[in-house]
Amino acid sequence: MDDVILGAYVFTGERSAHSYHLNKMANSLRSAETRAQFQADEAGYMRAMGCSDHEIALVHRRDWKAMMEYGASIYLLLKIGAATGHPLPEIGAATGGMTVAEYQAKKAH
Amino acid sequence: MATIVGGIGTSHAPTIGVAWDRGQQQEPSWAPLFNGYIPARQWLDDIKPDLFLIVYNDHVNQFFFDTYPTFALGVGAVHAQADEGWGKRPLPDLPGDPDFAWHLARSLVSDEFDPTICQEMTLDHGVLSFLPLLTDTAWKVPVVPLAVNVIQHPIPTARRLYRLGAALRHAIETYPGDKRIVVFGTGGLTHQLHGESFGRHNEAWDNEFMDRLETDPVGLSELSIQEYMERGGTEGVEMIMWLAMRGALGGTVRRVHRNYTAPFTTGYGLLVLET
Repeated sequence: MDDVILGAYVFTGERSAHSYHLNKMANSLRSAETRAQFQADEAGYMRAMGCSDHEIALVHRRDWKAMMEYGASIYLLLKIGAATGHPLPEIGAATGGMTVAEYQAKKAH
Repeated sequence: MATIVGGIGTSHAPTIGVAWDRGQQQEPSWAPLFNGYIPARQWLDDIKPDLFLIVYNDHVNQFFFDTYPTFALGVGAVHAQADEGWGKRPLPDLPGDPDFAWHLARSLVSDEFDPTICQEMTLDHGVLSFLPLLTDTAWKVPVVPLAVNVIQHPIPTARRLYRLGAALRHAIETYPGDKRIVVFGTGGLTHQLHGESFGRHNEAWDNEFMDRLETDPVGLSELSIQEYMERGGTEGVEMIMWLAMRGALGGTVRRVHRNYTAPFTTGYGLLVLET
């Protein structure tokens, strides 16, 4: 099976392992309390969760495309997006090299 | 013995739940989707099922990649709602059916399917996005959820899901109590969320898939995971879960209702079948 299919990343075990700590940090944002802690001190929160300086920088820049290339799962990026005010169309458009308006012109929802 | 009174294939997308909670059902962009559920809901009202057996996938809300099961069965009396990151929706927790679920666990393992058994299983939009469109949100019909890994590869084959359906049927037919059960296969249809081709969907393949689910499920079960992803996107591979529903129905089916709406982030399908 291919690792990239028609410009799409297959979320393989290897990709999952590579981005494990970033995904794990994102997965922890499933309560109001942890989201508040993250929002108060993103870098400190991420460091305590085992994230590297590189991972912290990717989130700090809100660089969804780079996070996706790094191996993050979209389902975990959605949780970072929920905690920082960036919904799916914004994350997806960035990873697809589009503006949100360009993406929304293609879709009803 | 219990009986399968029908099967439902339905997409699941979190935006459906958001739109439902906001009361946007009759807005022009949403109405074709929501109105498509009305005949399915009427059918459910008419056949009066006792149980929903729902094959779905968790979106990293119950399970994380520290321990990610290929199959997982919810056997609890109650299934709580997951906070997916946006806070919980205004819905009560879902009732389960431990007696049937433990029977299903025994029967599946006997048939060489080995799900992780979950006495606590929080449910996300994989179940809760479409369910309010089909049934009273007082949740009068219990739910037994069966989660499938379709997000972290390696994932099971389409053939495995089709055979899982046959094992579900065997379990239902050997349950000693009387129950009228509707089997759900959820997810899809085509969509692409990871990478540069974000947003790609394939209406022709969505419709071919729904056609062949009625008439040629064996052919669909012989396609590889790579072929599903080439045709329908890396997330479109969720479509294989519909094959579990179809495998449970077996033989020839009669279509009760079908609806398809696009272009959404996913091709959005609904199919109601009777045996």
